Amino acid sequence: MKRILITLAGLAAFGATVPSIAQTTNAKDDVELLISQIQTDKRAIVLRTLDLNDAQVAAFTPIYDAYQAEMKALMERSAAMLDKFAANYGSMTDEAAKEILKEALSLRDDRNATMRKYAKKLERELPAVKVLQWVQIENKLNTLLDVKAASVIPIAQ
Amino acid sequence: MKFGPLAVALVVTALPLVSMAQSAGLATDEQILLRQVMNDRKAVYAKNLGLTEAESAAFWPIYDAYEAKVKPLNDRFLANVNRFAENYDTLSDADAAAILKEKMAIEKEREALKQAYTRKVAKALPANKALRYAQLETRIDQMVRRDVYGLIPLAK
Repeated sequence: MKRILITLAGLAAFGATVPSIAQTTNAKDDVELLISQIQTDKRAIVLRTLDLNDAQVAAFTPIYDAYQAEMKALMERSAAMLDKFAANYGSMTDEAAKEILKEALSLRDDRNATMRKYAKKLERELPAVKVLQWVQIENKLNTLLDVKAASVIPIAQ
Repeated sequence: MKFGPLAVALVVTALPLVSMAQSAGLATDEQILLRQVMNDRKAVYAKNLGLTEAESAAFWPIYDAYEAKVKPLNDRFLANVNRFAENYDTLSDADAAAILKEKMAIEKEREALKQAYTRKVAKALPANKALRYAQLETRIDQMVRRDVYGLIPLAK
């Protein structure tokens, strides 16, 4: 149970509302629900802040939705990594620590690569100022979520 | 336009920017604060990693080499922020594209460095201490980014 709570707390800190955690009957569904809430909220903020015209919205949304789908897969990997960290916390073996570190580095790399890939796609469709705005918004939101998530995840012992 | 809070941004970046701060003519108090922040970052590792003497001997040269390689990236980051600030009110698509390209390049290089040096640390320290280092490094960077991004307005 403790590991599920740490995993959910880590994800909940990403911005989803905590009461929803109790709405489903298993941890996997809870994780899915939280990721879905985070992404829905984020999409609304991004669209509102970018203030695109109709043609730009039509060009932006399919690319952004594809980006969100790739980010969702990365968030699921993060949840699995947090789960592993929680399961091993307190009795962390060298092998477990190595695997967690390797996955953490890989996730960071993949997230940055995904951002670069989609910024390039957007550059072909939108004015550069709008793309710069999008990258700024993503960075700000991701950083706020990262800091919040880190606040509930303990440092390895 | 020059962002007023850039000096504050320099301070909160918690990075080795003393020489840049000096050349930019920042106030003495801010230079002192910068040095303090640099020292604090190292102190966080010293306090939380719990290194033995042998581990310290292996870790600090790697960390110092990492800091030395990160510094030029921090200088480029600040130069890019200044370029953004100077063009903020009349930002053209060409300016935005160049700033974005540089920003992405810096982030890619920074991440590559971080990964390379975290791997070196992982070879030099027990795995749980290497994981702890990576967690601390990430957390400090996240807090720095949060503060810096909070000071830089969105392009208009």
